[in-house]
Amino acid sequence: MRWLRASGLAALARAALPLLLLAALWEAAVALLHISPFYLPPLRQVLGAMLALWPAYQEAFLVTLGEAVVGFLAGALVGIASACAFHHARWLRDMLFPLFVASQTVPVIAFGAIVVLWFGNTLLAKAAIAFYLTFFPVTVNALAGIEAVDPRQVALLRSFGASRRDIWWKLLLPSALPRIFTALRLSAGLALAGAIVGEWFGASIGVGAMLLAALFNEQVVAMWAAILAAAGVGGTIFAAVALLEGRLVFWRDEL
Amino acid sequence: MMTMQRRTLLAAGAAALAAPRLGAAQGLLKATLRLKWLPQTQFAGFYLALERGYYREAGLDLTINPGGPNLLTENLVASGGEQFGVSGGTDSVFSAREKGLPLVCVGVTHQVTPFVFAAKADGPVKTLEDLRGRKATAWFTGAHLVLFGMLASRGIAKDAVSISPQQVSVTPFVNGEVDVIAATWYNELNVLKARLGGVEKLKLFVAEDYGITVPRDTVIVNEPFAQANPRAVEAFLRASIRGWKASKAEPAAALEAVMKIAPTIDRAHQTAMLPECLRLMTAGAAAQQGLFTIDTTAVKKAHDFFVEQKVLAAPIDLAAAYQGQYLAAIPLAERLA
Repeated sequence: MRWLRASGLAALARAALPLLLLAALWEAAVALLHISPFYLPPLRQVLGAMLALWPAYQEAFLVTLGEAVVGFLAGALVGIASACAFHHARWLRDMLFPLFVASQTVPVIAFGAIVVLWFGNTLLAKAAIAFYLTFFPVTVNALAGIEAVDPRQVALLRSFGASRRDIWWKLLLPSALPRIFTALRLSAGLALAGAIVGEWFGASIGVGAMLLAALFNEQVVAMWAAILAAAGVGGTIFAAVALLEGRLVFWRDEL
Repeated sequence: MMTMQRRTLLAAGAAALAAPRLGAAQGLLKATLRLKWLPQTQFAGFYLALERGYYREAGLDLTINPGGPNLLTENLVASGGEQFGVSGGTDSVFSAREKGLPLVCVGVTHQVTPFVFAAKADGPVKTLEDLRGRKATAWFTGAHLVLFGMLASRGIAKDAVSISPQQVSVTPFVNGEVDVIAATWYNELNVLKARLGGVEKLKLFVAEDYGITVPRDTVIVNEPFAQANPRAVEAFLRASIRGWKASKAEPAAALEAVMKIAPTIDRAHQTAMLPECLRLMTAGAAAQQGLFTIDTTAVKKAHDFFVEQKVLAAPIDLAAAYQGQYLAAIPLAERLA
């Protein structure tokens, strides 16, 4: 089993196998159960539609990925920075945290039209919505991770003469990393949802724009194709987070 | 002032991040056109004009932004965030002006009511009178009022018919759950023809036959922008007319211009949509007065209808809302399609 762990190729195979099974199940179900293409078109028809317009799907994929990633990174940075600030300054936390919570009680769709008024039809408009969805879970989890550190460990480091900076970089942040990455994994999907919702407010390019056009023109095949493209975007961000996590939180398996 | 500065800052930041422009165009005025719906050949002339550089030649660095289910073109244009718009129609211009939104209509795309009400030819509804006790759907953005008006013209009370808001899909009508449905000539009617097997399977009720007309797809401009840049408004109309005339002459090129923007939409449906839109654009007064003409008689008629229906609390100043001087600056020969 050791070789299975080591080889990247094998890891890829392990990831691909369930996907292939799912694809086979999709095809078989449509064929055997005589499902109307209006409800679920055969997978090969969906893939065919994507192949036929590959450059268009590629462009949409990259545009939406860009929007989601910019929003995701901004959300991650602001989230981690807020958590550090909140841990450091209790008064700041008392002042701002309720606002953070309140911001999350407003459904993001309510902001869509306003974001378009502010930013127009730009990448920033979609990234802003992706940011809005991601910064909160990161803040909450990073803060919880930092607060979970045993105060005796902090005291121990202090007794050895560690500076505040040392304590942050050598104890608090590394201890919080597993929880931060849990939030980042969650946020990968949220950032994608944010980018797609952003595109529903008058974007010309992107997976969300494609989804909307297919939806309102009742093109079922194009709808599924857009859904697969969206899954591609979400999967890419998630994979990137998981890869980074493997590098940074190398001790996770030992926990 | 504060918000203006912030907006400018945000816009500048957004532009810098989103669209690093290689060598900003010299002497061109940057402007946007917000459409009323997703990209489709209903807007082919604008897309073709953009693709062929007609707007640039007219001095405009124009960006076309699609509309969609969550956007109101009127609000975006009134806010000044966008300068030009293809908005709902004369009806939405009336209500925007009534609310005091700073926008003016400088041209009308569809000269006659662009939608009809359809029943199945073999169904129970042969005349409007047959609608009593039946089910109809219409878009509650204005189409339902036209149906009310049509019923009223035959002395039928509107509560004699069950009229509910129409969703995107025509399936409830095709399946027989609804007896009468609103359908634009260029979109839903084509879908219905395809799904039912020809126009002869349908009985159509046309608003104009009942003395009602609601010209739609109005070209609107932010009012302060129009006052400050009258030449830009004229240039926009001139280039748009060129685009639409080119679309009429070369429908295949117009189709490609749209398909390039929205590659996944259905080509056959888009092909069928264009000639219907062109027919609506060249109908009525446009035949003599050219594309985008503001037929003041038709606008007045629509206005009076909405006042009568109590949609408008009071008459609005039509001369201030509908400004034909920008079109009039373009020679008639150029405007005729």
